[in-house]
Amino acid sequence: MADPIRPEDVEALVARFDASHCAELHIRFDGFELHLSTDGTASPTIQHSATPARAGAAASPPPAAALPPVAGTTTTPPPVAPGADDLDGLEIVRAPYLGTFYRAPKPGDPVYVEIGAQVTADSDLCLVEVMKLFTAVRAGVAGRVAKVLATDGAMVEAGQPLFAIDPKG
Amino acid sequence: MAIRRLFVANRGEIALRVVRAAQALGIETVIGVSAADTDSAAARLADRAVVLGPGPAARSYLDARLVVHAARETGCDALHPGYGFLSERAVLPRLCDAHGIVFVGPEGDMIEALGDKLRAREMAAAAGVPLVPGTNEIASASDARREADRIGYPVLLKASAGGGGRGMVIAHDGDEVEAGFQKASAEALAAFNDGTLFMERFVGKARHVEVQLMGDGRGKVLHFGERDCSVQRRYQKLIEEAPCAAMPDALRAQLHAAAVGLAKSVAYRNAGTAEFLYDVERQEIYFIEVNARIQVEHPVSEMVTGQDLVQWQLRIAGGEALGLDQSDIAIAGHAIECRINAEDPALDFRPSPGRITRWQPPEGDGIRLDSHMGEGATIPPYYDSMIGKLIVTGDTRAQAIERLQKALADFRIEGVPTTIPLHREIVAHPDFVANTIHTRWLEQTLLPSLAIAAE
Repeated sequence: MADPIRPEDVEALVARFDASHCAELHIRFDGFELHLSTDGTASPTIQHSATPARAGAAASPPPAAALPPVAGTTTTPPPVAPGADDLDGLEIVRAPYLGTFYRAPKPGDPVYVEIGAQVTADSDLCLVEVMKLFTAVRAGVAGRVAKVLATDGAMVEAGQPLFAIDPKG
Repeated sequence: MAIRRLFVANRGEIALRVVRAAQALGIETVIGVSAADTDSAAARLADRAVVLGPGPAARSYLDARLVVHAARETGCDALHPGYGFLSERAVLPRLCDAHGIVFVGPEGDMIEALGDKLRAREMAAAAGVPLVPGTNEIASASDARREADRIGYPVLLKASAGGGGRGMVIAHDGDEVEAGFQKASAEALAAFNDGTLFMERFVGKARHVEVQLMGDGRGKVLHFGERDCSVQRRYQKLIEEAPCAAMPDALRAQLHAAAVGLAKSVAYRNAGTAEFLYDVERQEIYFIEVNARIQVEHPVSEMVTGQDLVQWQLRIAGGEALGLDQSDIAIAGHAIECRINAEDPALDFRPSPGRITRWQPPEGDGIRLDSHMGEGATIPPYYDSMIGKLIVTGDTRAQAIERLQKALADFRIEGVPTTIPLHREIVAHPDFVANTIHTRWLEQTLLPSLAIAAE
């Protein structure tokens, strides 16, 4: 099996893509999937139905209300979704960086994992999107998906808990 | 359209400065921080802080896509880049434009043009701004002598392909130029496989002066006086003052006109600084470059003009008119800024991240401290070492120096070594007090004298 993909690898791919004349690039291997496109109006291959405005974001106002209230005063530690109360003995899978959290690979597709699903360390759990660059997040540990801690289609911050995995499950 | 919610794409003291300026204007703030800065002063003061990525800047503050994604998803309608990081990368305003976010600064194309030194020089020349007298390619030793006679001695022969001082020769008369031409050409050929040379007037004792500019993007440009930033180490400024007390009024007027003329010629938008070399012996100024951002040393200009430059940035970006006339901007008093870095001057200015165990800033008339630090604060290892800027204002330069000496003596920081002891030496030195220093003074005169005293 190949080494896990690192953020630097993705950055290098994006740089090469930016420098190329390609309009679109789709890479998929070993549970890693990456879609790049120069066309801000085209639908990315990996897109989620919960956020129909996403593909046309360049021309559309910010998602949800134009100016939703600023949440909280600060996020130290990052906000934790409901259901995060009892995490004893569970492994937390966190967002590697800020982005938009998607539970399914494509709009209309089933989610990667449901609560109760058995996963291995290499299982993809979700996508985190930054400016149409979609990166799959792996479990990193084998076990049972105990909780989903972030909201599908919402922005997550770096380090924010996304899933709780029960390694004994 | 006035800005309603601002994304602050920076850290440290400037992030705090921007948050405060926005709050004063009734603008909501969201700051994007790295995992190392979640407890920073700016993160606590902003209405919201979001964690972009891990500590290393390449994966947080320097990732334009991440920053603009965060700004968009938090519903911000404008973005302030601060200084450093992405502030002068054309990609940031371009991404902002593509997502309907107002960039607080010049357009991407302007940033790109000014970032290219040759293009910036061409723009300056086209606007009639004085450049260092020089030549294009020189064909022979006799041509070199003729050109040097025209430019005036001493001259600097430079390799077109050059760098690192190789193929560089200083010549003080015609014979030295001819001999130097052969030597420099041979060196350049050996080093770069290209013996092509050009020549510039060599300015032995130069001061660094710069003009604070603000433009509305439609051709109106105002200046906020000049700053003198001649205390430098390895081209890094340590102390900045406003005004440049060493400059006669007639030359000052010429300096301001050159800077404003350049910015007007390109309908410059938002804050910028035109930098010049000031040749004290010849009483001439030469254009260096334009910095297309707010600068670290902007507070000294604020203290002598009474204008809040960061608020002006936000107001202009929000579509407000630059509602001042040049005659409204009067220079009063004298301000000096010391950059306080967490570095050890005794160990070749090695950065010294760590925890601040004691933080006792000075108090008194004319003292302003722009800092994000306090007791118990940590200095992460990932970023530059500046922990604050001490700005002291007086009615005259002499009074400002007197107050600065007292303020530096009173400033107590423990836990990490800082440049405060060095600043005490600088501002007490007779050359600094007499205002006879130049850009190489710190390295050529002060630092060697301290090294000898330490032995």
